[in-house]
Amino acid sequence: MREDEPMIARAVVQWFRAVSCPPHLDTSFRLTAIALLLRPMGPWFVKPAILAIAALVLISPRALRTPALWAIVAAFVAVRIANDWPLADNHIYLIAYWTLAIALSLRALDLHATLATTSRWLLGLAFAFAVLWKAVLSPDFLDGRFFRVTLLTDPRFAEAAMLIGGLSDEELKANREALTALPEGAALAEPPTVTEPVRLRVLATVSTWGIVLLEAFVALSMVLPPRRVPAWLRHGLLIVFCLVTYAFAPVAGFGWLLLVMGVAQTTERDTWWRRAYIAAFLVVLFYSEVPWAGLVLDLRG
Amino acid sequence: MLVVVATMQVVMARTAGLTPWKGGGFGMFSTLDHGAYRGVDILLEAPERSESQHVPPSLEELAARAANCPSEWLLRELAEGVVARERRYDRPVTTVTLTVWRTRFDPSTLAASEAPLRTFVYQVP
Repeated sequence: MREDEPMIARAVVQWFRAVSCPPHLDTSFRLTAIALLLRPMGPWFVKPAILAIAALVLISPRALRTPALWAIVAAFVAVRIANDWPLADNHIYLIAYWTLAIALSLRALDLHATLATTSRWLLGLAFAFAVLWKAVLSPDFLDGRFFRVTLLTDPRFAEAAMLIGGLSDEELKANREALTALPEGAALAEPPTVTEPVRLRVLATVSTWGIVLLEAFVALSMVLPPRRVPAWLRHGLLIVFCLVTYAFAPVAGFGWLLLVMGVAQTTERDTWWRRAYIAAFLVVLFYSEVPWAGLVLDLRG
Repeated sequence: MLVVVATMQVVMARTAGLTPWKGGGFGMFSTLDHGAYRGVDILLEAPERSESQHVPPSLEELAARAANCPSEWLLRELAEGVVARERRYDRPVTTVTLTVWRTRFDPSTLAASEAPLRTFVYQVP
């Protein structure tokens, strides 16, 4: 046996030992596992492993706090990303970073401080890059084109376009046809006009500036030193962002992940903030499963 | 790690045509340049044959990957997939031309038009 083998073996064994940790962090770990179960991902050689570990950590308190299991999840998520690159959505990358952060934090000397700091930076940087794309790099966001076209053509936003934007079903259908792309250089003799009520233009403008400003505030609240930003502001901005955005954006998995990461920043005394995060998690779940905008439209007749 | 991946994504979006919605740069919902407004046209050529082809179901994932990032290696994989499929049906093919396009919208009228992103010509060996 080599002289260093017992050290390596000890190090590996440590990764498979459950760590004692403050009970309030269990909420963040459990919600992470629930988010993984609600949105299974990956090909056949990835999905069952992630689902199995997610189920295991929910059932077993020891598994919940075992670093190796979270590291294995992170590895499988990375395989999922590589398998059909570049098709993975951005929150899949964030899941990989977050589960790796959980694994590494469980091995850190100060679990809570490490996890909370990592959560803050992951959230802050993700939001900062989102703002960079919207405000600087993208040529068609701040001028309103993104929301104008998305509200008119994306079926997932149809109900919002009708309910808030004031479009009828017939106008939506006509707009989708009018916005069908022509080959480069071609032009119609009588191009169809696009119907855009004032309410829809206002909705597009408010959505455009509202989301970029909200994301900027969330980013700043996360990356500025904690002593400069009260915790209630960080938590409040993140929860408001999720409740507003995921009422319309069809990416509930991303919302759940952001909320889970927010929970990890709560202290043992922040019982009410943890409850607020759990409530927001459930609200986003309802957003994704209940066609609320369609129901409101039906009620209005 | 997030910064490294996101920075690489920005670079690839600028240089390799990667859509801002993918690649881990958090550019989703920031632009109309995404998969729903990108596509791939396939043109097959051989002696006495020149025809365009819709993306068959078996190649949809490859086509989606190439449309989202029209890099040489992804386009080559798609072209090789097209050739393999034609050979399975005993159809001759000597050249596969792939054109990746995206839809652009006029800032004021929203008039939509297709604009080519990249054309890749694959000579069957």
